[in-house]
Amino acid sequence: MAVDRRSFLKFGAATVGVSLLGFNETNAEANDEFADNYAMLNDSTLCIGCRGCQSACKEAHELPHTGHDKRYEMPTDLNAQNLTLIQLQRKSEDEYTFIRRSCLHCNVPSCVSVCPVAAFTKRADGVVAYDKDKCIGCRYCQVACPFDAPTFEYNSATPVVVKCDFCKDLRLKNNETPVCASICPRKAIKFGTRKELLREAHKRIKDNPGRYNTHVYGETEIGGTSVMFLAPAGFTFEELGYRKWGETPPGQMQEEIQHGIFKYWIPPVALYGALGLAAYTLGKKNSNKSDDSGEVKNES
Amino acid sequence: MKVNAAPMNQNLWTKGFTTGVTIIALGILVVIYRFIFGLGAVTNLSDGVPWGLWIAFDVVTGIALAAGGFTTAALVYVFNKGEYSPLVRPALLTALLGYGIAGFSIILDVGRWWQIYNPIWSWQGSSPLFEVSICVMSYLTVLFLEFVPIMAEKFDQNPDSLLAKIIVKIAPVVNRFLIALIILGIVISTLHQSSLGSVMMIAVARIHPLWHSAWMPLLFLISAIAIGFPVLVIESYYSAKAFGRKFEQGILSQLLKLTPWILGLYVVVRFADIIVTGELNLLVADIWGIVFVVEMCLIAIIPTVLLLNKKYRESDSGILTISWMMILGLVMNRFNTYLITYQPRPGWDYFPSLGEIIVSAMLVSLLFVGYKLLANYFPVLSKE
Ligand code: SF4
Ligand code: SF4
Ligand code: SF4
Repeated sequence: MAVDRRSFLKFGAATVGVSLLGFNETNAEANDEFADNYAMLNDSTLCIGCRGCQSACKEAHELPHTGHDKRYEMPTDLNAQNLTLIQLQRKSEDEYTFIRRSCLHCNVPSCVSVCPVAAFTKRADGVVAYDKDKCIGCRYCQVACPFDAPTFEYNSATPVVVKCDFCKDLRLKNNETPVCASICPRKAIKFGTRKELLREAHKRIKDNPGRYNTHVYGETEIGGTSVMFLAPAGFTFEELGYRKWGETPPGQMQEEIQHGIFKYWIPPVALYGALGLAAYTLGKKNSNKSDDSGEVKNES
Repeated sequence: MKVNAAPMNQNLWTKGFTTGVTIIALGILVVIYRFIFGLGAVTNLSDGVPWGLWIAFDVVTGIALAAGGFTTAALVYVFNKGEYSPLVRPALLTALLGYGIAGFSIILDVGRWWQIYNPIWSWQGSSPLFEVSICVMSYLTVLFLEFVPIMAEKFDQNPDSLLAKIIVKIAPVVNRFLIALIILGIVISTLHQSSLGSVMMIAVARIHPLWHSAWMPLLFLISAIAIGFPVLVIESYYSAKAFGRKFEQGILSQLLKLTPWILGLYVVVRFADIIVTGELNLLVADIWGIVFVVEMCLIAIIPTVLLLNKKYRESDSGILTISWMMILGLVMNRFNTYLITYQPRPGWDYFPSLGEIIVSAMLVSLLFVGYKLLANYFPVLSKE
């Protein structure tokens, strides 16, 4: 199903607002409040699938090895023990590539929008951070995330939501490069600001005709993401497991409804008033012809 | 609005009641296990399918089915249809139990349940689930307060315990503000019944387009309003049976005269939605088109046709069949939206575990056992 077309129809009006925010190409950088956010560019044409990032991330975050003998582990999807993952995507015998999965630190994150207790926050530097002391464990973030990123400790009595934290405490705090980006022997993960990396991505596409799929995934998807991807020519991003998305954040419609309801509380208060008025007038009209003693006897 | 209700004061331990209590006992074991070993030990939930039977059935369907409380209250207190007042208390009791059980299932389902009160101080206004959680908490309070005068009637005669004394003490205060309270309950209900539709709006890539819609909040609200009276029919029938009373079909048939209007609106909005978004062709695209049509027939189309016919509307078996049909349709709708058409993360799958089924059965039993217990003790059902 074509998500982008449907989102366009359903969230059509909202798109105007988003382009005003500056996601259109011409003046993207100048108006882009996300330009200086921390970001990463993943280049699948460089990745050799060594999974160095995967194990370095795991080690740095002191997550347990769960595989055979606790030595060898090949998870097929993100889970509470793996914040990032390299997946082999094969189209035919000799057409294959590797793609990294993790939280993409969206510009307008669905997880932030839906979390009922604001356990997720989008920080000014672009990191989408999680606070377990607020989280109630409802897993709405898992339902809502467009990139299937958050995982949950289903086998714990005191579970938490687990996802890539951009190494905010391990590295960013000291102005260092996140573990996965710093360890990659092929420099397939590049760390920088969103503005720099978008320029870099388009330069790579331009300088190497025929090498890349010309779309930078994450540049515009759902309002843009901090973690972005380049794919080899001949692969669509859907073939790499990343859904096709329009530019409008999928949570926008829902947010507008919620804010519409609670802006100054007009609809609920108006409804209350209308019902009260109805009860009053209809009650008065009927009280003449009825001889009832009232519903409750102590009522005066 | 004369209410002439009395406790049933009958022997509780019938066969049905004993069965219910047994299922509850079994369920409690599963619940204990869940709290000690985590959700994964009891459920088939996973990162691929984070919401399962408990959310789809116990919470989402349960709250819709408990809507009879606010629709009846609106009819009697706002639109002043005094003739339906014998239905107010049973509907209130059903709502109180239904919401209590839904609240309990939320505690079971959320992983970090000991922080369940967090929405009170940590707000996220853009989240429909925030609204739902605040509404469920406040509506439960409102329902309990609405129940206070009923309890006071019982305790009035002999307030021996501390609780009884408190209830009798606050009852006059509650009575003074009863109408205000009831209207508050109605407003809160419209808010969260519709928000339960907003919850899945963001999951645009996960839900089948025939169920996903920008109008979900409205559709969820209308269907909840529509299902209120049929649930009342079922509840009246089984409580009459349980207490050996006469089934008051007349008043219910009268009530069901309103339902075709609500259902008609539902059908119009639902089809308008798929026409506007150009999804009409999906009706003939695959199996989901058929599922959609069946669901629409059960929840709205066939009941409307039957209810317009006096022969079916005014017979016991007629209104029972229609009510069950609508409930089935509503269950289908909520399950399709929250679970069945939900696309798991690639490579994942879900079917409810035995533990999840036992707990859901426990919650249904809690409703019946709780109803019988409370209607037996407090003046809920009208005197014959
Ligand atoms: S990828 Fe998912 S978890 Fe990460 S910021 Fe975006 S919505 Fe949130
Ligand atoms: S599981 Fe936690 S972080 Fe995710 S939406 Fe629920 S409360 Fe928020
Ligand atoms: S940024 Fe840090 S937490 Fe995120 S995937 Fe890389 S190493 Fe792991």
